[in-house]
Amino acid sequence: MRAKTSTPTDWTITDSPVGGEPSPSKEPSPSKLRAGRGLSRRNRPLWLMIPGGVLMVIIIVIPIILALYMSVLNLDQYTLRQWLHAPFIGLSNYVEALTQSPLLNSFWISISFAVISTAVTVPLGVAAALATQNKFHGRAAVRTIFLIPYILPSFVVATVWRTMFQPGGVIVNGLHSIGINSGLWLNGPQSYWTLVIVEIWASWPFIYLLALSGLQSVDHEVHEASALDGALWWKKLRYVIFPYLKGPLSLACIIAILYHINNFTLPFVLFGVPAPQNVQTLPFLIYITSFQSFRFGLSAAMAFLSLVLIAIPLFFYLRAVQLDTDKGGRK
Amino acid sequence: MTAATSPRVPRPVRRRSTSRQTQVTRLLPNGVRAAVIAILCFLVVVPLAYMVFGSLNSDLGVAQGDFFPTDFTWDNYAKIWTTVGLGNGIMNSIIIAGTTAIISAVLGVITAYVLVRFTFLGRVTILRSLLGLQSIPGTLMLLPLFVVFSSASTYLGITVVGTRWGLMLTYLTFTLPFSTWVMVTYLRGLPHELEEAARIDGASNIRTLASIILPLSWPGIVVSGIFAFLLGWNDVLFASVLTNPDTQTVAIALQVFGAAQEGVGLPLYGQMMAASLVSAAPVVLLYLVLQRYLLSGLTSGGVK
Repeated sequence: MRAKTSTPTDWTITDSPVGGEPSPSKEPSPSKLRAGRGLSRRNRPLWLMIPGGVLMVIIIVIPIILALYMSVLNLDQYTLRQWLHAPFIGLSNYVEALTQSPLLNSFWISISFAVISTAVTVPLGVAAALATQNKFHGRAAVRTIFLIPYILPSFVVATVWRTMFQPGGVIVNGLHSIGINSGLWLNGPQSYWTLVIVEIWASWPFIYLLALSGLQSVDHEVHEASALDGALWWKKLRYVIFPYLKGPLSLACIIAILYHINNFTLPFVLFGVPAPQNVQTLPFLIYITSFQSFRFGLSAAMAFLSLVLIAIPLFFYLRAVQLDTDKGGRK
Repeated sequence: MTAATSPRVPRPVRRRSTSRQTQVTRLLPNGVRAAVIAILCFLVVVPLAYMVFGSLNSDLGVAQGDFFPTDFTWDNYAKIWTTVGLGNGIMNSIIIAGTTAIISAVLGVITAYVLVRFTFLGRVTILRSLLGLQSIPGTLMLLPLFVVFSSASTYLGITVVGTRWGLMLTYLTFTLPFSTWVMVTYLRGLPHELEEAARIDGASNIRTLASIILPLSWPGIVVSGIFAFLLGWNDVLFASVLTNPDTQTVAIALQVFGAAQEGVGLPLYGQMMAASLVSAAPVVLLYLVLQRYLLSGLTSGGVK
């Protein structure tokens, strides 16, 4: 029997290596000793980082700084090609974004969309993980089926669901045949729920995967102990199993929220441009402002304001993930 | 979990102990478990089946809301190559996403090696930004890149918008931090002993990297490359702005085709479903074949 690898609270994703062999890094005490030994100070080949580092600075860091500069310019399709000479307008773009644009509305759409999607996918993913944890005939097939929504490209998911939600399409017809007049799904206020439904369909397997990896950290002794105590199944879940899932699931929620907030492809392909107001999430609104209205400066200001929303889950994400093996991770 | 004890135990006994173990580790009663699996499988399979049946149906059938094809036809699969421009799209996607994947996997493993095995000032900051950069909204990256790329023809006389290499460069903005992070988590799991042995034998850092690290980390390199490839294959945001009809990726080919059907009397739904299936197939097959390796990568910190 393997040594107990981790308590439920100090669960971190970085402990699991990417490839086939999970065991070497799962034993924290020897690997931590080794990490201290292995981090070398002498003879460091830091120049090896130059190709990757320089490329990242050129294509990521510099563009972000340029975007910051663009957000104080009056940059539109007329000044685009000579953007260095675009008129400087200070913080006007930020003021306009906050007071005269649908940005705040999009904030709420994005927040509620991310929170609702996460809240619905967590029980689905956990139920799926609980149901497929034990061996049974056809488990491999079921696990594969569960993964398919997640591995299908978003643009394919959106195309298929858009066809299903067409007026007179299979969903409207199906609901009509059981006496429900469902109205329009791709236009008007209901389109928001279309977006939520499709996002839930496509993203719950991610929660399922992380819940599954959390379940695998439950030791056999724990199962035996609760069996000896004669715990009923829901009591066992509530008091024995769920505490183990708390760590992986909170991390899963943070990543899922970031993913939902940043998801551009789904609303864009599902509704196309022009899209109904109710599905203009932040990335979608920023895209429309740049590439439909050609207000590049305004859109850059919006993008920076939207970082505020990203910053909150990102803060918890960076805290939850073990960055460094030799520092014990969480401090 | 029984790896330590099983070799000593004779086979029939082990089999019995396995079934007892299943009883002990059981989490849900059989009825509940069957219900959960049935419901979830149903929810997943119906849209998939709809895509398959729709691709074999006539456009009119799909528009009427058929689930099963009324008149069965393979025509859609023949037509999409000319109407959607799927062949050109798949070719472009393979070239662009493939090149991106190779570059970021190679640079990723080298950078990760230094980050994992050596200590220096700013190391933790770099690790943190690798994760943080993955959560930067794509729209924030696209904006300055687009402005710089479109003004490149004015200032430098180079056309970037619409070229394949311009798109590759933008894909590197998110695949490079991603691949590096994946390799950081992978290299951390590798034992140090072999490297130390090599070092004692007098191998240089480069030699250690080339003859110890690279051969050992093939699975990780492949995983990080495949994920970089998939990020490129699945992208719509960057490609929708930075490509033209000649260089458009498969995602854009499908998206443009779908958008062009809006407001047409009878949209070509059958072909839309067929094209969806064809453009999803390579990705799904790749996952299914490499499932065992990719699963752990899925949970290792991809935000996008």
